[in-house]
Amino acid sequence: MHEMSVALEICRIAEDQVGLDTLRRVREVGLEVGRHSGVEPDNLLFCLEVLLERPPFAGARAELELTPGDELRVTYLEVDDGGATH
Amino acid sequence: MAVRRIEVRERVMERNDALARDVRSSLRRHGVTALNLVSSPGSGKTLLLERTLRDLGDEVRMAVVTGDVQTQNDADRIARWTDDLVQAVVTGGACHLDARQVSNALEVLDLDRIELLFIENVGNLVCPAGWDLGEEAKVVLFSVTEGEDKPLKYPKMFQQARYGVLTKTDLLPHVPFDVERAVAFAREVNPDLEFFRTSSTTGDGLAGWYDFLRTVAGRARATTGAESEPSGRVTAGT
Repeated sequence: MHEMSVALEICRIAEDQVGLDTLRRVREVGLEVGRHSGVEPDNLLFCLEVLLERPPFAGARAELELTPGDELRVTYLEVDDGGATH
Repeated sequence: MAVRRIEVRERVMERNDALARDVRSSLRRHGVTALNLVSSPGSGKTLLLERTLRDLGDEVRMAVVTGDVQTQNDADRIARWTDDLVQAVVTGGACHLDARQVSNALEVLDLDRIELLFIENVGNLVCPAGWDLGEEAKVVLFSVTEGEDKPLKYPKMFQQARYGVLTKTDLLPHVPFDVERAVAFAREVNPDLEFFRTSSTTGDGLAGWYDFLRTVAGRARATTGAESEPSGRVTAGT
């Protein structure tokens, strides 16, 4: 069940990128999941579904790309800047 | 409403791995060898540590960072054999230790007094494989009351480990466990795995384990100071 720890770390990385602007919303989190990363993709997706329900994610989708090797990365974020003008 | 894409490319484990690198370099600087003990629950990590501390405590200065999921029990057992060098981490349900917990534990240990540091991980053959703790090597324990095919079922852990300890060998007459088969399975996933066969109850085979520990402790001592500090180097930026 270390997928939850991994999911929390993914959320932390995403939150770091979004910063403190409360109007911004993350719409999609792109991930690269190595087949030998020791992470079960379905389990990770389930954890992320739960975590991504709360702000600043507001129901963001997780997009997993299965890759060879053992790397685990956050590749991109899709962010809605909302009312942010800067 | 403007939706834009931010490229990130950040490794999920980077924060843990950066801390693990700090732990590793700090241990090396102090001449401390750290062994990360992993196994399924009940394979005998705590008892092996108790015996080791009792039998080798006069020769080698050892400390233990132990991770219990919910209790203080393992730390209490180990504390009977060493004065002040036990640092307990209650993981509160987490299935593994991470580098942050080890890094915090090191802050309260006096590394100048230590030659060998055992990190007793949470009993689990899956999750601890994903977290580098800054150890010199992983040691996987494997008891004769388990299935011989454990290495095939949990290959990642056996691949990462450099040493294997077969435990509870005193029970071999009573259980249908084929040692050669088990070792063959382990070598199938990791041909370089070095094996010790031990019984912490009778003491059988512990001499070899102790010789190994003396050697790694001595090796670390010998290299202390040899590794030059990157002094005077200034890193610009963040």
